[in-house]
Amino acid sequence: MKNPRRVLYNIALWAVAIFFFSPIAWIALASFKTKNGILATPPQLIFAPTLDNYADFFTRPNVGQYFLNSILLSVAAVLLAILVSFLASYCFSRFQPKATGFLMFLLLSIRMVPAAASVVPVFLMYTAFGWKDNWLGIMLFYAMFSIPFSVWILKGFIDGVSQRYDETALVNGGSRLHVLFKVVLPQVRPGLIAAFIFNFIFVWNEFLINFIIGGKTTTTIPTALIIGVSNNQGMDWTFVATLTTIYILPPIIAIYFFQKYLLVGMTFGTVRGEV
Amino acid sequence: MAEIRLERLRKEYGKTLAVNDITIKFPTSAVTCLLGPSGCGKTTLMRIIAGLEAPTSGEVYFDDVRVTDKTPQQRNIGMVFQYPVVYKGISVYHNLELPLIEDKLPEAERRKRIDDVAQILGLEHMLNKNVSSLDNATRQKVAVGRAVARQPQIILFDEPITNVDPNSRVQLKTALKRLSKQHNQTIIYVTHDQTEAMTLADEIALMKDGVIVQRDNPRSLYNYPNDVFGGWFLGNPGMNFVEYEVNGQSELGGPLFTRPIRFNNLNRDKHISVGIRPEHILVSPQPSAGAVRGQLTRKSIVVGGQYLLFIQIEGKMLKAKVPTSVGQAVAQEVWVECPLERVTLFGEQGTKIETELIPAQPVA
Repeated sequence: MKNPRRVLYNIALWAVAIFFFSPIAWIALASFKTKNGILATPPQLIFAPTLDNYADFFTRPNVGQYFLNSILLSVAAVLLAILVSFLASYCFSRFQPKATGFLMFLLLSIRMVPAAASVVPVFLMYTAFGWKDNWLGIMLFYAMFSIPFSVWILKGFIDGVSQRYDETALVNGGSRLHVLFKVVLPQVRPGLIAAFIFNFIFVWNEFLINFIIGGKTTTTIPTALIIGVSNNQGMDWTFVATLTTIYILPPIIAIYFFQKYLLVGMTFGTVRGEV
Repeated sequence: MAEIRLERLRKEYGKTLAVNDITIKFPTSAVTCLLGPSGCGKTTLMRIIAGLEAPTSGEVYFDDVRVTDKTPQQRNIGMVFQYPVVYKGISVYHNLELPLIEDKLPEAERRKRIDDVAQILGLEHMLNKNVSSLDNATRQKVAVGRAVARQPQIILFDEPITNVDPNSRVQLKTALKRLSKQHNQTIIYVTHDQTEAMTLADEIALMKDGVIVQRDNPRSLYNYPNDVFGGWFLGNPGMNFVEYEVNGQSELGGPLFTRPIRFNNLNRDKHISVGIRPEHILVSPQPSAGAVRGQLTRKSIVVGGQYLLFIQIEGKMLKAKVPTSVGQAVAQEVWVECPLERVTLFGEQGTKIETELIPAQPVA
């Protein structure tokens, strides 16, 4: 049983995992410490935990709204993106419009430039449209940004669903919508979930665009963190720690429950019918 | 009630001609088999009827309604493909029910229809099973049931039992026959398997290279093919063909016949083929009137205990299928007779020569 090689592997794996987890552990633990405790050197590993930070946290102005913004924006934007992507990738997969390959490449191009490069034109566009600090405007941006990757993921999945399904449904009295939502959709559910998770995490963590084209009414948590950091002379460490700890919970829960879909998503649907 | 009428139907894929100017009617309440070798255009023809492909030119009518431009959904048909297509992840019952819901049938009617087809197809015990857990044959039954339960006017089958194991094949065939008689539907059944076509069809349309060569009931098609192709493609083994040089004359003689045979050589063909089915050749170990002498080169047992004999007559090879008793009795030397009523003549173009065969009076 006790294969020394195996034990060694396990130790190495744990060491790596703990190394990467340590900043998260640090911030999560910090949310239960006092202000002085957080900054103590050497770091306190054993301390009397306190919930004061959380009590204080909920008295802060606007925190509720930050959360609401984050949740609503990411869920709404990603759902919209997935609906559009599903229809688009069905079209790419089945009707294969001319230059499908090139179109798919163009779609992805927005993801090829760093966000810092596209942020200026986006800012100018949004001010011109009067969409700055506009909830719908920002949602549209995030949806737009989530679509290319979703189309790529979903096209792989839809390609994997034989056209015979479409034809069977069509000749047996089904409409295109019936084919799309009753026949194809259930078979690409893993792809939809993978696309949702990937894009949800992206929007959830997005800072730059929200900072530039957002404003008071559309502030999400990443932006709130930056603003909150430099509160009254110096870092507001307890606030940062508490906010971060609550903030990382939704993605962790989502990833924990949908791990297997993330894997299929990363393989672009090439692992088929296994989920 | 829906007669399918195709008019001058043509389908080209680039330079390939899949369907070449087909004009045909498929009658109501009958099973018509489209029979032909792989790649002869039968599946394409079927897909055009279903509306899954648009013809390059020509028209499709259901009764007198032109449906050439209609979508598959508007055509009110059912179709079953070669590979079982079921909606994964849901139960058999739900699979059968989906199209019925689409048709907006009330719950009670849906249940009744599903129970009906399930009973005929032998699916009644697995209605609640998830289709993902079923084998291919059962899935195909589900696919058949789904097409039939809607009771469309027209049902198209595209080689539905090719990929099914032999046991389930018999079951499915029986079920298909029963189902087809129930609702007066027009059924087109595509297959490359002649046994399937012979046993299922009211009529067979024989296809070759995008053309329907002949269309007749199975027995006539088999006995009187009007083209060399029909003779060769049908039967196991196919028809014997013996070439004759007649040079425009109207008389045949050896090696098949003991005395001259007159026929009507309308087109003054120079070469003709004499066709006769292996099972129609009479073989005997003893000489008899009208029989020619041949050398037995090989014999083998085939299905049903019959013997397949390879007989050489003046350099021509004939295959004959004979009963066990004859097969066992024959030795190297055999006597072969080709009854005139079983002989078909084909002209230079491979088409049947419409003629009577009259033996010339023996010279006194």
